[in-house]
Amino acid sequence: MALNRGSSPTSSIFKKQKHSPSSPPTAASYLSALSQADARARNAQRGTPTSTPALSLSSSLTTSTEDTVLTEEDGGNSDGLAIPVGKPPNSEQLYTTVHTEFGHCYNEEYRHISQHPQGAPVPRHVEQDPPYYILFSTYISYLILIVLGHLRDFLGKRFRAQSYKHLTPHDGYAPLNSDFDSFYTRRLKKRMDECFLQPVTGVAGRTISLLDRYTPDCNQTQIILDTRTRALNVSSYNYLGFAQARGGCADAVEESMKRYGVTSCGSRLEGGSTDLHTLAESVVAKFVGMEAAVISSMGFATNSTFIPALVSKGCLIISDELNHSSIRFGARSSGAHVRMFKHNDMEALESLLREAISQGQPKTHRPWKKILLIVEGMYSMEGTMVDLPSVLMLKEKYKFYLFVDEAHSIGAIGPHGRGVCDYFGVDPRKVDVLMGTFTKSFGASGGYLSGNKALIDRLRIRGYSGAYTEAIAPPVLTQIIASMASIMSIDDDGSVPGAIKLGLHPSSSSSTLHQVVDYPHPGPISQRALPHWLSLPLPLASGAEGLMRLRRLSFNSYYLHRGLDKLGFITYGHPSSPIVPLLLFNPAKMIMFHRMMKDRKTPIVIVVVAYPATPLVTSRVRFCVSASHTKEDIDSVLMACDEIGDVLDLKHGLSKGERWSIDEVCRRAVELVHIPDHEH
Amino acid sequence: MASASSPLDTVVLTIAHSLSAVERTFYKLPGSAIIERYVRSSHQNDPGRTFLELIIFFLVVRTLLQSRTRADSNNAKNFIEFTEKEIDELVEDWVPEPLSRPLDDVEAAELAAVPVVAGPNGPHPILVNTGKPAINLASLNFTGLANNEHIKQRALEAMRKYGVGSCGPTGFYGNFDVHIQCEKDIAEFLDTESAILYWQGFSTISSVIPAFCKRGDIIVVDRAVTLSIQKGMEISRSTIRWYDHNDLHSLEEVLQSVEKERRKRKGPLTRRFIITEGIFERDGTMTDLPKLIELKQKYKYRLILDESFSFGSVGRTGRGLTELYNVKASKVDMLVGSCAIGLCATGGFCAGSKNVVEHQRINAPAYVFSASMPPLLAVSASEGINVLRDTPSLLTRLQDNIRAARALLDQVECISIPSHRASPIIHIYLRNTAYTDNLLHPSSAASMASSKPSNPSSPVPRDVPVFDIEREERLLQEVVEEAMAQGVMITKAKRVRGLEITEARPSIRLAMSSALSKSDTEKAVHVLVKILKRKFR
Repeated sequence: MALNRGSSPTSSIFKKQKHSPSSPPTAASYLSALSQADARARNAQRGTPTSTPALSLSSSLTTSTEDTVLTEEDGGNSDGLAIPVGKPPNSEQLYTTVHTEFGHCYNEEYRHISQHPQGAPVPRHVEQDPPYYILFSTYISYLILIVLGHLRDFLGKRFRAQSYKHLTPHDGYAPLNSDFDSFYTRRLKKRMDECFLQPVTGVAGRTISLLDRYTPDCNQTQIILDTRTRALNVSSYNYLGFAQARGGCADAVEESMKRYGVTSCGSRLEGGSTDLHTLAESVVAKFVGMEAAVISSMGFATNSTFIPALVSKGCLIISDELNHSSIRFGARSSGAHVRMFKHNDMEALESLLREAISQGQPKTHRPWKKILLIVEGMYSMEGTMVDLPSVLMLKEKYKFYLFVDEAHSIGAIGPHGRGVCDYFGVDPRKVDVLMGTFTKSFGASGGYLSGNKALIDRLRIRGYSGAYTEAIAPPVLTQIIASMASIMSIDDDGSVPGAIKLGLHPSSSSSTLHQVVDYPHPGPISQRALPHWLSLPLPLASGAEGLMRLRRLSFNSYYLHRGLDKLGFITYGHPSSPIVPLLLFNPAKMIMFHRMMKDRKTPIVIVVVAYPATPLVTSRVRFCVSASHTKEDIDSVLMACDEIGDVLDLKHGLSKGERWSIDEVCRRAVELVHIPDHEH
Repeated sequence: MASASSPLDTVVLTIAHSLSAVERTFYKLPGSAIIERYVRSSHQNDPGRTFLELIIFFLVVRTLLQSRTRADSNNAKNFIEFTEKEIDELVEDWVPEPLSRPLDDVEAAELAAVPVVAGPNGPHPILVNTGKPAINLASLNFTGLANNEHIKQRALEAMRKYGVGSCGPTGFYGNFDVHIQCEKDIAEFLDTESAILYWQGFSTISSVIPAFCKRGDIIVVDRAVTLSIQKGMEISRSTIRWYDHNDLHSLEEVLQSVEKERRKRKGPLTRRFIITEGIFERDGTMTDLPKLIELKQKYKYRLILDESFSFGSVGRTGRGLTELYNVKASKVDMLVGSCAIGLCATGGFCAGSKNVVEHQRINAPAYVFSASMPPLLAVSASEGINVLRDTPSLLTRLQDNIRAARALLDQVECISIPSHRASPIIHIYLRNTAYTDNLLHPSSAASMASSKPSNPSSPVPRDVPVFDIEREERLLQEVVEEAMAQGVMITKAKRVRGLEITEARPSIRLAMSSALSKSDTEKAVHVLVKILKRKFR
């Protein structure tokens, strides 16, 4: 196959289109309009008195245009990413973000609320099947790849023994990886290495800077060049667009770095705890609506180190078949018995529960000590959402404990951004353990586990995160606090009586916080529950920007999902999920799709996933939309997909008569987004 | 008769005719000759043989058709049929245990006594617990990088360029230039071909091990390795052989016995690994690296060395055990270290040859499935290496402080210290008069070592050290709390009891730091010594 030649400047058959000379008048006029708007805003700001001293306005409101339209090293706007298209803002619309990090979008029509209509049934996810010739050619492709791979191995081992040395026994050492185990990696994945491990720089926000690279020897080595390409980023987990190097959150992080330094030195129980940890945990607990929370420094480790503290031998873990690797890792090291059920299939779950409870433990038939059901709020490869109301109904009947991994759903869905419980309008306390990460929506890293206070205290000393792993770093904690507070909005009059004493007991603060209100969210967080030095700019502190981010994310998710559907593609998942998988099937189409997207005038970077992360035939592109994308960004993704979809024969969804043209999709976007779920 | 036989004849004829037709078509099929030859040769005029073949054939078909997933509990023997009503009743009757037991008083008190620092952590933090400043002998800040202004400044600049989170795993646009640079810096610092970064110190080795060790491989491991290694081995499902803690003589015996076993079984050559730590997290003892390398080369094992506590703390510039013993780092196949402990950033690394590193980029679960480290922390790790390289005086100061502390502690009768003299972590055991000292003290236990070696397939050594966990934990906790009240922040080595393969002896773990002056160190240790002497006279 000619596909493994990599993207060296000469070898690509889809050469980068020559940049049409950018239109300086447009850019210049935009900049001047911006600076005028800026000046007006500054005047207006002086007129109005600032509301509270606690919420002092940070400099980001009055930054100059260079700060919000960042052109940096790219120079110019030839890729159309640096300067917003459409109307320049007027005096009421303040821009507080850098357009390349967080797109400017002022049209209030492009907003949508992510919420499950009360009482409506949860629509079941139907997987569309491609025509048979696609399936057939997919299998044939893999067959060819495998045969060719074995042929190359066979010949290579005989004629180029030196390069196969690490796969054969030598000097009395067994090979480090057997050629059979690594066959897939060497002979299939290697061909499309240009889709993976792309080195990048700068903020992974709305756009991302790629360090250009090429391979002289069929992906054996990758040589990184000095040039960069700015591309529209629909790959990073940046749901709420908090990946920003400027703005209120970044200012807060800077302040905290000055106060706390970079690191916390050691594990939580052995001298690595600071008051900031205690505080952040109470903020997280408040955000998710639980009594208490514990934070771990790595998302993967949150599952892999805390699940063993929840269950042990004699317990049963029931796990969705598509659960993330970290859950499997944790389940395996817990010593509990693990059973799986078909993805999101409630009947299969119920019959498994009935079987498990009635049969008891294997061989002995003793009753299980406890049963823990582990599901994900949103599945990272499919974009499907757990049917939480049905699970809770089963929970009442079968008395299992429920662990919901909200790695992808926290912040991303629900009218208040509080994940699946919020989306379905369910009290989060009906769930026993809510787990989530800060990577995806909050622009930070690490993960949390939340539940009732007794449970969390137990986990602090039982989970091996507390005693053996390093505590999370203070700048990351501040990013979490600032971003979560801005979504919750800050209540400065102190509705929670009594100042919260910090730290004397690891979760005392969170418990006092929640005695006041029984069902704590949605509701603002008190200024006193936040670090005293934290001062967010007004749009963030008032929650207006947080709300805007949630609404924009929901609009973008719905728009991309339904736009692709209407164009005739096969997509998976729930329309409100920011993960939008587009099915490609044939393995060769992955690399073609990737390259064609990247080589457009406005380069777009995408993630392709294939076996073993997905079943063999259903290779896919996985878009991750973000609140930082503007409607125009989604337009350009749709346009690109439309063009490439025709070339690569990807439109196997809706029949020709039902499809919309790309112009129609872009024009009727708002209408498309607001079609109720069950009518679509 | 004729009329009666004619329909029968017709039937016979038809059968004969169709049989020959089947035979003809059979011979027309490609490959039929082979089948015929096979059947003839296996039949050999013995219907019994054919019958056997048929049974085997049906068994194969049955096995292929059998569902694999439901086999474990649904297989005929153990499955009990219930009616729907019975199941409903059983469901009704089942009472699960609570998800967690609330903390008892002792546990709650201990959790409340965990030191919490108000503001930045460092040599003289202010404790939330007491509201007063304290001298810090608990936090891991060996070379004082946590308070380095230059690193902080560079991290700040990185934050203004990259934001905080990296928003994706390395495979999918989370591979920042600063991560690549940090990996390069580590590889250059240690002089290995290549290095790979992980995002949490603990998850590093517990992910490196299953990336290489698979079912059927052999791991020879020290009996007192830290939990992350234990977890990694558990996930790997390899065959594990144990050798006595920090006893290379015992290691050699185990290596020999494994070799003997293999010869006897005449099995194929499998991957073999020795896994141990540079400075042990459990007690601060140090491995004799040159001897270990010699053994590994002699018996052709690969060495996975966990340098979490020795990287950034021993050696002239903090390169770890390899620098201390003047051994080339490339001789260690997989050198695992911690950026969180040694460089005061976060995460860990594995340095080794290019093959070793590239293999992990696809096969190590914690690398593949987790979002990469925040770029600002990768920058501070890189800067940490620069600082270490440029200021060897940090390491000299650290060693001075360790010597000063040890000089004071050695005078105390009621304790014993298993840690190596150069180890920046000092574990303190209680010497217990209730039992004979021989059984308590590991080194004395080793000296009276019986002629018979321990069983290599069991993690429990032959001479099991005897100690009363509950009592010692309680006494040590009293010491810790008293010291905190007197302005010295120390901690017990925290463990999750019942989780580790063998229980570690309760200890107080002091962490030395070059950020403290010698006099401060002496002052703090003196406070501890006084408490110890008063309590356990």
